[in-house]
Amino acid sequence: MQDQLLTQLGSLLVNGSLTDDAVLAATDEHPVLPILPNANVVKIGGQSLIDRGRAAVFPLLDELVANLPDHQMIIGTGAGTRARHAYSVGLDLGMPTGVLSILGTFVSMQNARMLHYLLAKHGIPFIEPVQFAQLPFYLEERRGVVFFGMPPYIYWQPNPAVGRIPPNRTDTGVYLVSEVFGARSMIYVKDEDGLYTADPKKDANATFIPRITVDELEALNLEDVVVEHNVLEFMKNARHSRSIQIINGLKPGNLTRALNGEHVGTIITA
Amino acid sequence: MNANSNPEPSTDQRHHVRSLLMRESLLDKQVMSSTETPVVRMLPDCHVVKVGGRSILDGGRETTYPLVEALGAALATHKLIIGTGGGVRSRHVFSIGIDLGLPVGVLAQLAIADALGNAHMLGTLLAPYGVVAIPPEIFGHLLPLFVQAAPGVIFNGDPPFSLWEHPAGMGRIPTHRSDAGAYLLAECFGCATVTLVKDVDGLYDRDPKQFPDAQFIDEITVDDLRERNLPTLPFDRALLDLISHARLVTRVQIINGLAPDRLERALRGEHVGTIIRKDAAS
Repeated sequence: MQDQLLTQLGSLLVNGSLTDDAVLAATDEHPVLPILPNANVVKIGGQSLIDRGRAAVFPLLDELVANLPDHQMIIGTGAGTRARHAYSVGLDLGMPTGVLSILGTFVSMQNARMLHYLLAKHGIPFIEPVQFAQLPFYLEERRGVVFFGMPPYIYWQPNPAVGRIPPNRTDTGVYLVSEVFGARSMIYVKDEDGLYTADPKKDANATFIPRITVDELEALNLEDVVVEHNVLEFMKNARHSRSIQIINGLKPGNLTRALNGEHVGTIITA
Repeated sequence: MNANSNPEPSTDQRHHVRSLLMRESLLDKQVMSSTETPVVRMLPDCHVVKVGGRSILDGGRETTYPLVEALGAALATHKLIIGTGGGVRSRHVFSIGIDLGLPVGVLAQLAIADALGNAHMLGTLLAPYGVVAIPPEIFGHLLPLFVQAAPGVIFNGDPPFSLWEHPAGMGRIPTHRSDAGAYLLAECFGCATVTLVKDVDGLYDRDPKQFPDAQFIDEITVDDLRERNLPTLPFDRALLDLISHARLVTRVQIINGLAPDRLERALRGEHVGTIIRKDAAS
């Protein structure tokens, strides 16, 4: 390759080391383009919402559909209690993290398919990672798509520091979609009002935290946090998605208000 | 561990399938510690060899043919899973993509094509030995079958992170490239060894191509390497975090593919380059 065909950055990358801070710093000269700046990424919890069945899911989907004219939505699904079952059996059988990741993918895919059938009459498709190239078209035409929340790492899922449960699960996979597309918002729909100082299902003294930064949250060193640790980790490095909101999807109106940019749950910022 | 599938009464207003992790938050630190259990090795007799893009394949026949011969000889006695890097073309597409304002996930997606191209070239050269490049869509699931049927397989070393690549602390180059991808595959499948084939003898305290007086480091632990905070490394920096979380593959060796006789020695467990260890015990 002739060097005169290379830009300055091209020459730096082709000839330099990709582990060199000076080379890496040069790759951040231009801001990152927001690819889908009008889309909202909405994650619907597995254990918290979908496992509750129609009582929780039907009202939430009605509200979601009512918002489609005003808000484009990329809808990711959690896994839930069947993933916990699969992880439990898998751990006992000695499955590596990469295989557990595949098992989690299957459960979040089941949930995505079920939501997809419920939303099918509105023309909303379910897309797998290989179909993400069609996502902009579906958003433009139908205002929404459903995808499974697990990142498609399968056998390549990195090990966690402790234990064997995949560290990048559906919160993280959905978050990374919001970051890579430069989405307008990242909303986690769960069954609690947001973040508490402890698991409010187990600890009656847990207190609600309406707004917090990632640094403040890490300083608290809580035993249990409402979103996966890697989401917080990645938020610190994010170019676009530096604020997420966790809302209670069991309370009607919360999703609408969150889509409208209102503060109805816990907002975590980097 | 109870895997009984009776539905659990909903004491917390949620519906559970009975399991150890039922009703537990997978974000709870104590719950996570309870999941530290022994793990099986799927392919304990296979060796993962990552062949550098820029360091070997981009050099054309001069650097690649002798290594192909060494790989061919090693295939007679070792099952090989060979990953390839993207090399110069990945770096070029990074530079154009960054100039166009594209995010790290898009760059990671684009880079897979370059490593795959290199996998196909290496596959063409190793075809006489019965080794070909396998498309990434089927590679992982069918790997145990392929290695039973053939002396080895080739894949694009990049992990399938693609759009889901993690945002980097500094810059916009995907952090999980082919060294990380080859390692992650070996760790999941519990392979015997991981060898990264480059165009230097191993790790130095500075880039030996720029500084002839650079000191060679023949082995080092991840913690010591982090502490030394070297200006450049001959492999993906993400590898350090990955090795520090190893359960099965607790060391990686970097060897010089320009001295191809070292390959088979590395596969036999000899120390012929730089060994990066998870800790002093590994």
